[in-house]
Amino acid sequence: MSLDPVPTPAPEAAPPGDGPAAPSPPPPAVPSDHPVAPVFSVPAFLLVLAGLVLAAAGAPLLQAALAGRLGLPTGVATGLAAGGAALLGAAFGAAAALAARRLAFYEVTAAALLWIATSVARLLLLPAGGHGQAAEGLESQGALVAVLGVMGSGALAAVAVFVGASLAYLAAGGGRIDPSLSFELYVARSHLKLSPRLLLGLFLLCVTGVVPGLLLMLVRSLLADAAERRAERRGLLHQRRRMPATMLMTLISIGGVAIGVCALTVVLAVMSGFEGDLQRRILGQNAHGMVMKTGPKDFTDWRETRERVRLVPGVLGATPFLYNQVMLAAGQSMELMDGAVLKGIDPATIGTVTELPEIIEAGRLSWLDSPEAIPVPAARDADTPPASGTLPGIVVGRELAHSLRVFVGDQVNLVSPQGDIGPAGPQPKSRPFRVAAIFYSGFFEYDSKLAYLDLAEAQRYFGTGDTVTGLEVKVVDPDAARATMKRIQVELGGYPFRTKDWGELNRNLFAALQLEKLAMAVILGFIVLVASFLVVATLIMLVLEKVREIAVLKSMGAGVPSIMRIFVAEGLIIGVIGTFLGLVLGVESCLLIEKVGVQMDPEVYYISSLPVRLEAGQVALAALMSLVLAYLATIYPATQAARLRPVDGLRSE
Amino acid sequence: MGLPSGSVPFVSVRGLGKTYLMGARRLDVLRDLSLDIQAGELVALTGPSGSGKSTFLHVLGTLDAPSAGQVLYDGRDVFAMGEEALATFRNQTIGFVFQSHHLLPEFTALENAMMPALIRRMPRAQALARAEEVLGLVGLTDRMGHRPGELSGGEQQRVALARALCLKPRLLLADEPTGNLDPRTAEGIHALLLDLNARLGISAVVVTHNERLAEALPRRLRLASGRLEDAR
Repeated sequence: MSLDPVPTPAPEAAPPGDGPAAPSPPPPAVPSDHPVAPVFSVPAFLLVLAGLVLAAAGAPLLQAALAGRLGLPTGVATGLAAGGAALLGAAFGAAAALAARRLAFYEVTAAALLWIATSVARLLLLPAGGHGQAAEGLESQGALVAVLGVMGSGALAAVAVFVGASLAYLAAGGGRIDPSLSFELYVARSHLKLSPRLLLGLFLLCVTGVVPGLLLMLVRSLLADAAERRAERRGLLHQRRRMPATMLMTLISIGGVAIGVCALTVVLAVMSGFEGDLQRRILGQNAHGMVMKTGPKDFTDWRETRERVRLVPGVLGATPFLYNQVMLAAGQSMELMDGAVLKGIDPATIGTVTELPEIIEAGRLSWLDSPEAIPVPAARDADTPPASGTLPGIVVGRELAHSLRVFVGDQVNLVSPQGDIGPAGPQPKSRPFRVAAIFYSGFFEYDSKLAYLDLAEAQRYFGTGDTVTGLEVKVVDPDAARATMKRIQVELGGYPFRTKDWGELNRNLFAALQLEKLAMAVILGFIVLVASFLVVATLIMLVLEKVREIAVLKSMGAGVPSIMRIFVAEGLIIGVIGTFLGLVLGVESCLLIEKVGVQMDPEVYYISSLPVRLEAGQVALAALMSLVLAYLATIYPATQAARLRPVDGLRSE
Repeated sequence: MGLPSGSVPFVSVRGLGKTYLMGARRLDVLRDLSLDIQAGELVALTGPSGSGKSTFLHVLGTLDAPSAGQVLYDGRDVFAMGEEALATFRNQTIGFVFQSHHLLPEFTALENAMMPALIRRMPRAQALARAEEVLGLVGLTDRMGHRPGELSGGEQQRVALARALCLKPRLLLADEPTGNLDPRTAEGIHALLLDLNARLGISAVVVTHNERLAEALPRRLRLASGRLEDAR
């Protein structure tokens, strides 16, 4: 590993307490050339780099091992792998900080830049496919995403390493392990001046939904203003008790963190709600998996295949289907026409695989089998001649029925471009059907584009003989659909059979959703980031206010880590309170949305109300992110405070 | 200037120099100072304003590093220690009393006085007992729950003295402890200083403009234009 890009330590940045350098002291005096701690430590740099590489590169490997070998669910495996890699990186960071007796900020930065630069260069210069499994998934989404992903993972690993390093320095920078915080918390609490009463007030404010509390405060402020004015008019001394600036800043930072965490929680819950809703609808309407037959031969042995599939463990049901695209026209006229996807189904077994029987809102699914039972309405207009004999049944979605203006019992014509050969060449094939039932899935795409026929009827219409497109399969655990479908493929003996699970069938949709969720999380993460800048500003103000106090504490023997801990504790108190209040607000908002519901236009959003799904993992992640950012925000002000030379604070008289 | 073998002085300043660089200008505040202080010795340090008394006290108290020379405590060069070791050393050996007392405004007298003990990680109860004891020494038993803002100037200075004495330091460094006080209150503080020295046997270096106090202390030094001279 080359150390070339490492900046050489700048000699002018002497550690605090060493005083101005004396280039040439007066001749009679003995020069006091005491050793100066180096600003950049190479061993620490190497340790940090090792931790960084292990964390950044180890996370995907660990994830693959946990998910693949141990067969843990993907989410759990990812969480464990990320946590494990972060801990590993933090351990190396801690070792570096202890070895160098420094915060190791420059070392971590240099290592992170080096690592990110080499990985991006490797990604861009090496031919595609040479970067292992983890990078492949990213690369499939374009170079920009891949580069951003690599940079993001590098930055995350660097954060883990730096958190480890700084924590180790704070705990043991004084030369011995000293995890006690009693003195620091004692001082920090006096700085923040957060009384239990105030905290209780804040908590109540959040629990009651902020608005009533804000109104109350507004009214109080108004009354106080009025009183103040009156007193001024009468020449009475009436000093209103004002909040100290730093306390106001503290409260504002708490509010900022809370807003960020709240926004993050709510938006992630809504995104999860959308995802879950979509998944539920897709799984309700579609099967969990599909068995298809590739190759030249038609899928004629579907009956035996279905029996074999049903015997595979983990399979709940299987049903054949035939799939084709057609045009639907209302009545005899061709004025009202709409394209549709036609699915031939087995009404007897479809219920074992999809929820179609449950979402019928008019008519009956069984009328597909017995079309003679479909009630024929009285002719509504004279143009439509009464159909001769019994017409086969068809099931359409609500939106499709709406656009065709048909009801149960009405006649629709099925027009297929793969027509018969007529006297004047090929002509579209048109055949009348009667609407047996109308379903409503709530999924606009399905309700407006899907129609069902009886399988035999569909085979006759398309002239395919006794073949099907494939079998739809329902499995016990939708989350394990991929594994079950793989097992089915193995049981069937592989080629020409091919299986797909719902994730694969709707891959684009869910990939887009995941990406969108990630993007939202990153964007909202910026709110939390901005809030953490508030923490930085507040702490810097506090440090400026406490210059003298810091000097006095140092004169009494408080060490650098001790002073740092005071301000880190202050920032963390702000972060913890803000995060907690944000979580309270966020969870509350989610419950409110769930209870009251936010109406949406189903034509646009395919669903009629805003779905929310609170996931413990996500909430924990939002909280963790906010806390880590708050912690990182404290480091700069804390080092500024700790670097103050006691003399500077004492001299300002 | 060799040390007499066998008897190492408690504090020994050797060739101490302090130079500030202000841009291109050099400002020699202290030049080649040497001084020995024995255990239990009381030293008054006088000199005109700006003669470097405070700087000398800061260097002596390890708050500021010298540009030249050494400060030896029991023969050990303290500035050879790392920053953290130095902080621990300060906590264990030195007590400071500043001119404008520098009490922490958010804490009561008792809490201020126990702060050095808390920095040493003494258990809370023990620190509390210590603070009560030293506040008793300075005669403030009945004012322990008051914050600095609620105390008079003399009381504040006495709290500062109590704080400096909390950990029973071997060396007390006081920078014009009575500079801001009226003569009668100052007199009280002086008497207290002498009394504490007699009772606890701690060494002290007291920077003062107060002639009466300077006269009252057994040893008197004068700092003028960066050099130290015996004023008696």
